[in-house]
Amino acid sequence: MARAGADHAQHRAHPRRRRWLAVPALAALTVALGGCASDAPQDSLNPQGPQARTIDDLIMPIFAVAGVVLLIVVVAIGYCVFRFRDRPDRDEMPEQTHGKPALEIGLTIAPAVLLAVIGVFTVKTIFDLDEQPNDALQIDVVGQQWWWEFTYPALATETGGPIVTSGEMVIPAGEPIALRLTSRDVIHSFWIPPLNGKRDTVPGRVHTLTMEADEPGEYWGQCAEFCGLSHANMRMRVVALSAEDWDRWVANQQRLAAEPTDEQALAGMEQFTGLCASCHQVNGLVDAEGEPVIADAATQVVAGVAPDLTHLMSRTTFAGGTFDLKVPECTNDPEYTAEYVTGTADNCLNEAELEEWLRNPPAKKPMFSDPENLESTDGLYRGMPNLGLSEDQIDQLVAYLRTLK
Amino acid sequence: MAIVEQPTPSPSLPVPAGEAAPLAVTPTTTLGVFKRPVEATGWRSWVFTVDHKKLGIMYSVTAFVFFLVGGIEALFIRLQLAQPDGTLLSADMYNQLFTMHATTMIFLFVMPITTGLANYFVPLQIGARDVAFPRLNAFGYWCFLAGGLFLYISAFTGGMADGGWFMYSPNSGPMFSPGHGVDFWVLALQMTGIASLTSSINLIVTVLNMRAPGMSLMKMPVFTWMSLVTQFLLVFAIPVITVALFLLSFQRLFGATFFDPNFGADPLLWQHLFWIFGHPEVYILILPSFGLVSEILPVFSRKPLFGYPFVVFSGAAIGFVGWGVWAHHMFASGLGPASVAAFSLTTMFIAVPTGVKIVNWIMTMWGGKLWFTTAMLFAMGLVVQFTIGGLSGVTHAVAPADTQQTDTYYIVAHFHYVLFGGAVFGLFGAFYYWWPKVFGKQLNEPLGKWNFWLMVIGMNLTFGPMHILGLQGQPRRMYLYDENMVGSGFFTLSFWNFMATLGALILAVGVLCFVVNVVRTSWFSKVRAPLDPWDARSYEWMTSSPPKEHNFDSIPAVHSLDEFFHRKYQEDEHGQLTKMATAEEILDDLETHADEHIHMPDMSYWPLVVAAGLPLIALGLIYSYVISGVGAVLVLLGAYGWAQEPASADPEDLEPPSGPSQELATVG
Repeated sequence: MARAGADHAQHRAHPRRRRWLAVPALAALTVALGGCASDAPQDSLNPQGPQARTIDDLIMPIFAVAGVVLLIVVVAIGYCVFRFRDRPDRDEMPEQTHGKPALEIGLTIAPAVLLAVIGVFTVKTIFDLDEQPNDALQIDVVGQQWWWEFTYPALATETGGPIVTSGEMVIPAGEPIALRLTSRDVIHSFWIPPLNGKRDTVPGRVHTLTMEADEPGEYWGQCAEFCGLSHANMRMRVVALSAEDWDRWVANQQRLAAEPTDEQALAGMEQFTGLCASCHQVNGLVDAEGEPVIADAATQVVAGVAPDLTHLMSRTTFAGGTFDLKVPECTNDPEYTAEYVTGTADNCLNEAELEEWLRNPPAKKPMFSDPENLESTDGLYRGMPNLGLSEDQIDQLVAYLRTLK
Repeated sequence: MAIVEQPTPSPSLPVPAGEAAPLAVTPTTTLGVFKRPVEATGWRSWVFTVDHKKLGIMYSVTAFVFFLVGGIEALFIRLQLAQPDGTLLSADMYNQLFTMHATTMIFLFVMPITTGLANYFVPLQIGARDVAFPRLNAFGYWCFLAGGLFLYISAFTGGMADGGWFMYSPNSGPMFSPGHGVDFWVLALQMTGIASLTSSINLIVTVLNMRAPGMSLMKMPVFTWMSLVTQFLLVFAIPVITVALFLLSFQRLFGATFFDPNFGADPLLWQHLFWIFGHPEVYILILPSFGLVSEILPVFSRKPLFGYPFVVFSGAAIGFVGWGVWAHHMFASGLGPASVAAFSLTTMFIAVPTGVKIVNWIMTMWGGKLWFTTAMLFAMGLVVQFTIGGLSGVTHAVAPADTQQTDTYYIVAHFHYVLFGGAVFGLFGAFYYWWPKVFGKQLNEPLGKWNFWLMVIGMNLTFGPMHILGLQGQPRRMYLYDENMVGSGFFTLSFWNFMATLGALILAVGVLCFVVNVVRTSWFSKVRAPLDPWDARSYEWMTSSPPKEHNFDSIPAVHSLDEFFHRKYQEDEHGQLTKMATAEEILDDLETHADEHIHMPDMSYWPLVVAAGLPLIALGLIYSYVISGVGAVLVLLGAYGWAQEPASADPEDLEPPSGPSQELATVG
């Protein structure tokens, strides 16, 4: 500022030139800051597994190249604006150049070569990502309005059927997982950004996708293909466990639900058998004659299946991964894996929200379950209807659900 | 001229023996109880018009109204998402609004407004007095209006379509989208499809057959070139979506199972059909603006377009390659690696001709003498913003990266940079550039600068942060996002969402500036624009502003590209480019040598009758076949009357007896 007295005209050009350069610089800085300052759980630029890292390694240099090209364009235009703007001292017409074929051919070939290089790496990555190891643990992923079901065909429970869970897909960390994906109604898309790109689940088709988590942890995702009314509420998480925790989790999932001992929960079990078990499976639940109660949701919901609740308390979310099953103090617990393995501690259950859900599910999460509107679906629901439960029934049901660890 | 000449009985031209008299194939009486409309003023002169300029204005005004409607829908979307767990809109209403926003902006704004501009300016740029099929042109407009209104009827009959503009099956089927919203959507798009198809055929025939003497294809103004490419894209793309829409409506209305997986159908069929239409559609939306910016930049740089053949051929190349990239919308659909790799490469390839255009635009400015009018600023805004959109486009072409980006806000950012920052900026540039040509008055420049800067700031603040939102994992089409997914720190997703909403409001103020500018110029300004306010270069400026009904008193012969410029400027004895003639002198010269007989097509109400039948047929398909019957009768009757109607009005219909045709014949 001390030089303010210097020849004004001589220095006038500089701030102007700098101002034009400042625009892209500022933009780049903003983006960089924006990218760094947040730890959003679905950040796609924060790879936590080999597949996501492969994608990240491919795209990062391309972002850089794109940034350089943009910078060149902006600087060229900025230069034109500064250098070739109409000024009072220029009254002659500029030279009427019609083109320079050599320059144009050159500037056509240069980006073509650049893109060809990008193309080679892209094609290689496409085929690399498509490979699915033969010994990988297989999980079948099924999307439906508006929740995810995960079946482990290689891991049988005491009933003889496979482990089935929903909302959260539990996997062993450090091992590749081979997913087979499909849908029971409309198209959904399975997307866990830290682990891999998304893959649509299409009814009538089975797609494959491989993912692997480096470390134990929770990885958030969300349905990414518009799937109707409650698309925004169709969430899921992948939970990667250490080898030891994974074995305990599998062992726990293989057990049948035990009959509760306390009176309130027993009453809840009766309510459940009468009201809920026609759609929701609980392995180990038996009727008055001692026969297993088998859910048959096909008579009531379009997708034909409702979430299996045998080990509801070994999850951290409910209602399609939408709501926390735990109170916040417990979800922030660094020893969170315990919940997946041994079930929610009694003081951790987010009872208020669970009760609110049972009171009127479509009010909490928009669903297509108003009995008056079911003409198009022949009376079948899409989602969970309002069962009109009394407060006593709700209390009893919650007491029973608490026991499903 | 392809316009059918009025058969004038001429005693000096006896009909050769053995040949049928022309009167035998050209009926001279009009079918119907009403006499043919011939009014030159009042509402009838608009409603029954076949004049390409009136229709161009009608297209543009209607489309702009839909732009405001679509913009208001967008504002609701942004207000809902301004903060986590928004409560302004229900899930259902949000889904309807984003579906209608996209449908409106694409089918009812950008497509028809580019048709409107092409309608108005293509004949003027090639020295034609109207389009090849003037009544078909009117029919196209009424189909578009019928389709647009029909779409919005659904807002009052139990809910608008809510399946997204891509309307993926099976979600669009009767089981998952009950109610009539999707039915209205499908049938409305069929009507706007008829509009697009008829106008595209019309413009192709016009451009190929009705150019001024001397105007070879490579002397055609670039806007006309890009419009021509666009029309060819439409001719081939619209039938694809028409078929897809028919399949969907048969599924919804008559129980067909084309897309129902329960009957063994593959829902990906719809996606292929939709995107085989949908990707050329993107170029249908952007190519006209490429043409506009290629008109505007040279004028305000005072230089010819750099590399005209490269710009033209890259436009045509985009038109061809644009057919081979559709599956890049489906990289996450599970196509298999071979298809994904193939479409990944073609998509990268299409970046090359697009890059050529950007280079040429910059080189046009390079070494010029830049005059920063509002039109020029919008054109330059297009170049920068389209570059950003194009570069993010390359990042999607990298298919593995696209599996992370697709269906997130990163894509929303990308296509709004291309379509808003690109297509819409080109259109606004054209509004300012051509306003004096169309209305004889100039839009206010200072207000125009406000318009531009507010739109630039608003647009970048709205769509810039969406890059970050998408990469940090916010999917599209969600009526809310929750506090847990926004991350921590200052620059959370909530922050960027709020910024985007703020940007949208600024953008809205920018658009409002334009509306104010139009109102102010139209009703409160008496200043006439000079004949050649921008020292322009191309053919359409060689006539009065606004142009007469017959466009040109005499059709100027073309000797070079930028004909108008070369008539004004020539090299003096020192080899210095000097202005030798003014626009007024050139126009005077043309008027002095006016053609003696100019025959213009006459008005007709048949196009309107036929077009009015279509929404009735559609409405009847949804509610009661009786209404369809009434509509079908109207269409048949209208088509019959149309077929029987001579191109020129019966002299008895004209009031006073010497109607427009006769008047025009005595020009000069």
